[in-house]
Amino acid sequence: MNLFRWFILRPLRADLARTGVTMAGIAVGIAVVIAIRLANTSSVLGFETALNAMSGRTSLEITGAGGGVAEERLAELGWLREYGQASPVVEGDVLLAPPGAADAGAELVRLLGVDILRDRPFRDYPLVDAAAPGEITTRRFLALLTDPQAVILTRELADRRRLEVGSAVDLVSGDRRASLIVKGLLGREGPAEVLDGNFVLMDIAAAQLALDRLGRVDRVDVRLADGLDAAAARQAIAERLPPGLAVQRPERRGAQVEKMLAAFHFNLTALSYIALLVGMFLVYNTVSVGVITRRAEIGMLRTVGAPRRVVLALFLGEAAGLALVGCAAGAPLGWLLAQAAVRMTASTVSTFWVAAAAHVPPLTAGDVAAAFAAGVPLALVAAVVPAREAARITPVGALRDEGELLLRRRLPKRYPLGAAALLAAGAWCATRPAVDGLPVFGLLAVLAVVFAAALCVPPALYGLQRLRGPRRWLRVEGELACTNLGGAIRRLSISVAALMVSLAMMVAIAVMVGSFRETVAYWVGQSLQADLFVAAGRGSPAGARQTVSADVEAALVAHEGVLAVDAFRSVDLSYRDALIVVGAGRFDVLLEHGNLLFKAPADGRRALAAARGRPAVVVSESFALRFGAAVGDVVTLRTARGEQPFRVNGVYYDYSTDRGLVVMDEATFAAHYGERRPSGLAAYLAPGADPGRVRRDVLAALGPERPVFINTNAALRQNVLRVFDSTFAITRALEAIAICVSLFGVAATLLALALERRRPLAMLRLLGAERRRLRRMVVIEALLLGVVSLGIGVAAGVLISLILIYVINVQSFGWTIQFHLPLAFLLRAALLVLAGAALAGLYPARLAGRFHLAERGADA
Amino acid sequence: MTRVGFLGAAAAVAVLIGTHGLPAAQESEWRQARPDRALELPRDHASHPEYRIEWWYYTGNLAADGGRRFGYQVTFFRVGVDAQPANPSRWAVRDLHAAHLAVTDVAAGRHLSAERLNRAGVGWAGAATDTLEVWNEGWRVALEGATHRLRARDDSGGFGVDLHLTPVKPAAAHGVGGFSRKGAQPGNASHYYSLTRLETRGQVVLDGAAVDVVGSSWMDHEFGTSFLEPAQQGWDWFSLQLDDGTELMAYVIRRRDGALDPHSAGTFVDAAGRTTRLRAGDFRLAPGRTWASPASGAVYPVEWRVEAPAVDLALDVRAVLDAQELRTGESTGVTYWEGAVVAAGTRGAQPVQGRGYLEMTGYAGPPMSEVLR
Repeated sequence: MNLFRWFILRPLRADLARTGVTMAGIAVGIAVVIAIRLANTSSVLGFETALNAMSGRTSLEITGAGGGVAEERLAELGWLREYGQASPVVEGDVLLAPPGAADAGAELVRLLGVDILRDRPFRDYPLVDAAAPGEITTRRFLALLTDPQAVILTRELADRRRLEVGSAVDLVSGDRRASLIVKGLLGREGPAEVLDGNFVLMDIAAAQLALDRLGRVDRVDVRLADGLDAAAARQAIAERLPPGLAVQRPERRGAQVEKMLAAFHFNLTALSYIALLVGMFLVYNTVSVGVITRRAEIGMLRTVGAPRRVVLALFLGEAAGLALVGCAAGAPLGWLLAQAAVRMTASTVSTFWVAAAAHVPPLTAGDVAAAFAAGVPLALVAAVVPAREAARITPVGALRDEGELLLRRRLPKRYPLGAAALLAAGAWCATRPAVDGLPVFGLLAVLAVVFAAALCVPPALYGLQRLRGPRRWLRVEGELACTNLGGAIRRLSISVAALMVSLAMMVAIAVMVGSFRETVAYWVGQSLQADLFVAAGRGSPAGARQTVSADVEAALVAHEGVLAVDAFRSVDLSYRDALIVVGAGRFDVLLEHGNLLFKAPADGRRALAAARGRPAVVVSESFALRFGAAVGDVVTLRTARGEQPFRVNGVYYDYSTDRGLVVMDEATFAAHYGERRPSGLAAYLAPGADPGRVRRDVLAALGPERPVFINTNAALRQNVLRVFDSTFAITRALEAIAICVSLFGVAATLLALALERRRPLAMLRLLGAERRRLRRMVVIEALLLGVVSLGIGVAAGVLISLILIYVINVQSFGWTIQFHLPLAFLLRAALLVLAGAALAGLYPARLAGRFHLAERGADA
Repeated sequence: MTRVGFLGAAAAVAVLIGTHGLPAAQESEWRQARPDRALELPRDHASHPEYRIEWWYYTGNLAADGGRRFGYQVTFFRVGVDAQPANPSRWAVRDLHAAHLAVTDVAAGRHLSAERLNRAGVGWAGAATDTLEVWNEGWRVALEGATHRLRARDDSGGFGVDLHLTPVKPAAAHGVGGFSRKGAQPGNASHYYSLTRLETRGQVVLDGAAVDVVGSSWMDHEFGTSFLEPAQQGWDWFSLQLDDGTELMAYVIRRRDGALDPHSAGTFVDAAGRTTRLRAGDFRLAPGRTWASPASGAVYPVEWRVEAPAVDLALDVRAVLDAQELRTGESTGVTYWEGAVVAAGTRGAQPVQGRGYLEMTGYAGPPMSEVLR
């Protein structure tokens, strides 16, 4: 132990900067991994917790095709009594707003509408209002809920918004606004305890009215009688249900959400491991530097009889120590990052319900233990190579100052050969199909490219020695810098590779996202041809199923400037265990005025025309790819009339959802899924009509307090791209972190290099070199390292972006992305990295300028 | 009067009205019982949604082969909440429909009960307005020719009845031509008639197993808008079928001060179906031995002396089982005693025996006049 303190801790303490950087690097790497893991699990777990609280004691739930059960069907379900109790439920996301027309301070809440006469056995509603304390009976709830204006809030929500029993509130759903009175408050129990209290309870009748869902409930919850076997009862109920209705366990919705997010989470997780990889590079780097700078001391140790395994243990101990501190700091840091990540995830997943439920759980001992369990072994693995090298040092060899600082005249052939082999393996991986919907081989291909690029680093550094250019431009300092770098290839390779990998990932993501953005922008330009778009509520998430009211549509149609109106309807549908979207549009209007971009067949318009009046659909590209559907195939969809076949008439490009879209003509949809209000309208205007004026006219006709949202074409396009950008914010943030970490790495390496060359640097000073020049030399070294990293990084990045676009994206999301190089961004990033590299060289440069031979002597 | 179970549903309404303080104008949404409205059957078997409160009430004493005896009670209530809801939703509550089911297994000393409370919604509960057809989820009574088909089964408890009830006597109108006054206010009254003897066959279900039974049942149907007055605490109601082919219906309304309300009344039906109206002074109901409910703490007289000198009747009435209390705490909060009884005594010089049902309210919880407000 004494030996460890003297030999490892003392130098670590003496070189606090490098030690700190390494620890920070490990901490950040661990933090990113933990953050992503916490964020991923918390979004799914949070949803499941919320789902459990909302489901209460529900054993089974009955839903119709596309969600919702028409009330006529419900009347036929009286026999459910034989199995237990049944409670119809209406559920939705609405905005809770202050009374009046203003939407300031509105927030999304989950609205649950139940028939309390039936629902009491299912869920707990602990009323806490002081007005009528005591036993909570159905009678009291009945009194609250049969009032069409009554709403019950959670106390948490009421306290937050300074509401009390008797306060007036508005619930805004789509373009409707309901004025309600708070009739009671709920304590933290049952459904009220989830979603941060953003939960309101209403009578089923009032909820139907507020959500514009008259004639339909969202599902029927069933609580099986005691002693019934759930599986057998489910089977029996399934057999008795009329076609078009299905029974499932509530947990299945959780499983579906998990599946929906699986690809997204998988990719995030893969990204997070890159940060960890960078951390490993740093450990390798620190330990190797330690080994090299302490050759003499190691030799001494061996001379006095220390066995090899002691040396090995000392350096592994160093790595473990660094990792311990890094992990300890990384766990809480990861938790903080997770909060941010969850917030960003929330903008990505499509429903508020899922997003609001996502809460990062408090950091547990288990999380911290996981951080150590991952961080310490990885650090040890990273340290094994340099530690073994240290153990191999012989007492005599240490004195000879052999190895590293000698110029290598020849580069081992294994580097280029290895790189070529890895690239070949990567190419093979890129042609493999997805495994269980996850792009496992695609990511292996990325990994192969990363390692191939890393193997290219030593040859590139070797090449620096022979480079004539810098020597000429940068004179003596350049000459020295090139030589120095070429002479420390082995050690530098690791740091440069780390920076290179980070850069490659950044470039890859940037190219992919940039290409994606261009593609979406083009698609938006082509597909969004209408002049005005009516949305069912501002900021309403896709899953909220809000609808446009009939009078809003009438007001739009009635305007003389409006030529034609298309309406989009959609339902969520289970399809082969996944949740897809079945939508409807007016194909006549689309044919005459609109423009869908078809992937197949060539003549999309004819495919669209032929789909009218018969059971035929067009499907989005992601649907076609995920489920292997091609033109001419038949897909079988659940409908209100049971399973029905639909011919696939065409495949079109769509980037609005990766869940898979099946679109049919309005009339076909109504025949199969019943009459539903549209979720959006698109209006085509007469030539010369001013969209802005039509918009104002329609809004004025509807009255100022109606929350109707009409976008002009230009505004909607902007909106789409804004949403797009926020979706990818998290990816960019992650990459920025990785680059910061690796710039630290470069700084640490240069520092080590400078320290190690004290003697030659001091000699240079002795020979008359000015401080300024020494500093310049070290900065040039840093810049050269940056250039090498950048060159290989960009090349590898572009290669990886191709894999991301053509393999991983296609397998995860099923989108066609047109490759597009965001040159301006790359240029900016390159300048930034070079500036960063120069900055990273500054501290070592200052240090180098201060070396004296005397100091060296004193130190020894 | 009677029928208390309806109290349950009525109680819910009372709470509703009490809470929202329905303005007086809305009271006029509902029609008051009037003496000049004549009963007409079978038309009046159907539902009368223009009145606020209505119930159909079946009780009976049944026996299986081998003499095993049962009592049963199935009650359907409809209570108007809002005659014209503003919300077009099918779930908007116009009426509440409650139902109570109880089966007394005399030999086993068991009294089983279950309840339902529903809004009409998508038709899971309701009452037809053109014929006798009343249902609450799976519980249902409907006319099949002259026969009343009555089915009610509690699946989780594994008990219920499935019966064919055929009237063997004409309907008996209570009060004056079916107009039954309940309080000092003229409007506090109901339209009220009974089928006093229904030949009954079918099955009683206990522990999930059906037992074939035969016996005799009683059906009440009553509708009106307002009933009790503040001073009225509760009532004791008897329906008795005697073995000489006659029946007696009699109730007293107990006032809070302990006195008997002058609007207590009864009806005697002779073997030919002719009715004799009994006013408060024409009969006497004297409580005897009591039983204290361990669950509610209420003390109920379970043995009575019934005397109606006007029709020369004197009977000792005794519960077949003491513990026949119903507590409807979960849905309505009303606790009452309703159970099968046996009677023995004399009519004139002739010894008579009989069976019937007894209902006692206002012994636990608030006065019924408050519940029923």
